[in-house]
Amino acid sequence: REKMSAPTMEERKACWGARDEFWQCLDRHAEDGSKCAELRRGFEGRCPQQWVKYFDKRRDFLKYKKKLETEGYNPPEAAGKS
Amino acid sequence: RQARRRAELRALALGRGEFRLQDHGGRPRRMADFHGQWVLLYFGFTHCPDVCPEELEKLGRAAELLERDPALPPLQPLFITLDPERDDAPALARFLRDFHPRLLGLTGSAEEVRAAARAYGVYAAAGPQDEDGDYIVDHSVFIYLLGPDGLLLDCYGRAKTDAQIVQSVRRHMETYEPVLK
Repeated sequence: REKMSAPTMEERKACWGARDEFWQCLDRHAEDGSKCAELRRGFEGRCPQQWVKYFDKRRDFLKYKKKLETEGYNPPEAAGKS
Repeated sequence: RQARRRAELRALALGRGEFRLQDHGGRPRRMADFHGQWVLLYFGFTHCPDVCPEELEKLGRAAELLERDPALPPLQPLFITLDPERDDAPALARFLRDFHPRLLGLTGSAEEVRAAARAYGVYAAAGPQDEDGDYIVDHSVFIYLLGPDGLLLDCYGRAKTDAQIVQSVRRHMETYEPVLK
């Protein structure tokens, strides 16, 4: 099997740009992915699949981090409250 | 706190051992080849989504800023791949030319790359392959400063800016003593 070449600098920047447009759309629509379907397709088209997965996880992490910073940490409720 | 950290790094004396790698021009390179030089070293891989290009840009800028001061000794920017499977010499050459003209890339057998990573305490683990055979290598992210004896003097994480790295390298250069006496 032939080795895939790594993305060039131009390809990387095109991917990051598409990702940022998609994320900005999500920011504007409170994470409602259905409002950003076209930008999602653009993002998936410009980035290797592995990078899409990686950036999706990163987005989740950043959202979680923001939640912790704004809402504080709420430990799960213990079972059997009195 | 900084003095304590530096003392800890000296106690670890990371960077002993040996590696036998090849640079992106195909020439054999050993650890000892870099003795006598200051080195800023980064471990990464060319299929990296964001972290490696960002850190290499920072490393390149820091090297450039340090070069501007004729009073300072020269510094060698160095990259060692954690993905020797895909990052052969031509792949490294293509990737590294975007960052700094003297940035040297090293690759080799899986065994030799592992030995190099181990010598500097670097963590790396390749993730699962997708149907295109693509994968991400999870790895610790630091820019390492090696003194002329080849040993680790300092390391700079993601949060450190190029200016902070320059300030720190400059201070090390001005106060340098070999790690092992």
